[in-house]
Amino acid sequence: MSDYYSSYGVVLAVLTAGALLVAVAFTTARLVAPNAPNREKLTTYECGIDPVGDGWSQSHVRYYVYGFLFVIFDVESVFLFPWARVLESIGYAAVVEMTIFIGILAVGLLYAWRKGVLRWA
Amino acid sequence: MNIDYHALLPEFILAGTILLVLVVDVFLPERAKWFAMPIGLIGVVGSLAGVLSLIGAGTRESFGGTYVVDEFALLFKGFFLVTAVVVLALSLRYFREGGFYQGEYYFLLLTSFLGCVMMPSSRDLLLLFLALELVSAPGFLMAAFRKGDVKSNEAGVKFFIIGVLSTAVMLFGMSLIYGVTGGATKLAEIGVALDGVSGEMETLAFAAILFVVVGFAFKVSAVPFQFWAPDTYEGSPVPVAAFLAVASSVAGFAGLLQLMFVAFAGQHEFWVPIFAFLSIATMTVGNLVALQQTQVVRLLAYSGIAQSGYILLTFALVTDDAASNRNAFAAAVTYILIYGVMNLGAFAATVAVSRRHPTLGVADFAGLRETAPVIAVGMAVFMISLAGVPPTGGFWGKLLIFQAAIERGGTLGPALAVVMLVNSVASVFYYLVVPRQMFLRDAADPSRLRVPALVTAVVAVAMVTLVAIFVLPNVFARLAEISTLVGLGA
Repeated sequence: MSDYYSSYGVVLAVLTAGALLVAVAFTTARLVAPNAPNREKLTTYECGIDPVGDGWSQSHVRYYVYGFLFVIFDVESVFLFPWARVLESIGYAAVVEMTIFIGILAVGLLYAWRKGVLRWA
Repeated sequence: MNIDYHALLPEFILAGTILLVLVVDVFLPERAKWFAMPIGLIGVVGSLAGVLSLIGAGTRESFGGTYVVDEFALLFKGFFLVTAVVVLALSLRYFREGGFYQGEYYFLLLTSFLGCVMMPSSRDLLLLFLALELVSAPGFLMAAFRKGDVKSNEAGVKFFIIGVLSTAVMLFGMSLIYGVTGGATKLAEIGVALDGVSGEMETLAFAAILFVVVGFAFKVSAVPFQFWAPDTYEGSPVPVAAFLAVASSVAGFAGLLQLMFVAFAGQHEFWVPIFAFLSIATMTVGNLVALQQTQVVRLLAYSGIAQSGYILLTFALVTDDAASNRNAFAAAVTYILIYGVMNLGAFAATVAVSRRHPTLGVADFAGLRETAPVIAVGMAVFMISLAGVPPTGGFWGKLLIFQAAIERGGTLGPALAVVMLVNSVASVFYYLVVPRQMFLRDAADPSRLRVPALVTAVVAVAMVTLVAIFVLPNVFARLAEISTLVGLGA
């Protein structure tokens, strides 16, 4: 076991080498590189085009509805397809189980409906 | 694929209740939303009856041995369901009067408890992971339930980010184990498969174990992964903090116990030093920082961290000797159960005070002997018990761990025992701060504190239980004895 912990020496060596590499690279860059700051260089880089708008943009609350309904129907279909494939070999037990599963998801839909998130306005 | 429906009865009842609560809630008018609580309470009691009906029925397996209901599982299931009853009782007035979304709260709370109930039965990495996530995910939302309060939002976000991070680390570890063992996911199979690996694969297995341990260390708020806990507890609604401090962390320990004592038992030489470090760091840092706290929930949070340290100590006692391992396991289980009772009690007393003093400074407990005598006596008992001083149950809990440490022998066992002893003595200082306020200082407002009957009942029952455990330790020790047979069966 002490064997195992002593092999952490390698990890330490790699860490030291990594730190050195970064230190040397940055020091060299600082010594060698020309220094000509201007305002343009401080703007946000957005694939080369001048950035538009604020970084803190708001997304519409309706996306929550999208997310909500997407999860319900997405999960449902993900399990329905393989279920349909093996239905014959398992039989009625599979039908009952899937009904329960869809029932649980339907409660989610019911909740969304009663909370009024299905109304767009 | 065999499914033992009777063995799954508690889970079925609880799951049905969860759906019922959600459906009923959306049709209730605003005034009657609190009605979700009695429905949930009936469901939890029904589920508890299901657990009781399984006692003495032997070990029952479902889903190809991945879901096992044995005495260890039943003990913890019973514990979680009783905790659920208590948290529901604490929640009723708090959430009814605070203008919260009540139906959603009870739905999320019960879902979390379903995860807790599944945890001790999960004997498979996949199920273990699912159960743990089922505990945590609703917790993120519940922590942020005081929507208008910045602190509560902070609590939710912190808990969420840490929770997701720890899950990712743990899942990575689990995937490595899956690879190293050649596709084993059942805990018993992993134990066998890991004993056979050697060389570089063994190193990889060690890394995997380390990742899994770190993931769980976040969940049980062990130092150095503890920093989220005080902020989250402080910002959450107090009943939610009680849930997080008791149910959520005990669920973490239930999973960790199974993993370490069953799946990874053969690699104990590797992970015992890790747990020794975690344990010492956790209890020392927890106790030292707790000394400086002036807010009661933060104090309880740091005390909870220190208590996690005591429980983690038992993991560091594992050796090749099966009998001594059984001792350590029994000590861990007993301590976890006693810890649950005393911590729930302390949070119940805090809920009572929070009605008049929502900020919950230590000074807000001043003169409680006049304004709410039952709560004051109860809180004093809980604090004394958390410190491990007789005549309370906490004393036996600490004594058992101490004994197990001494009996383990070697240098590590007694060394850990000494560290624990020193920590226990140091902890007395901050645990007695609250009783001092309650009994030696006078309240600014001497009128009687109106405490909901359910909260008073919880405090009284927890207090009586702790004293009863001290007087009749044999009855309680039996519980841990039963559970040890099973957890170490593999």
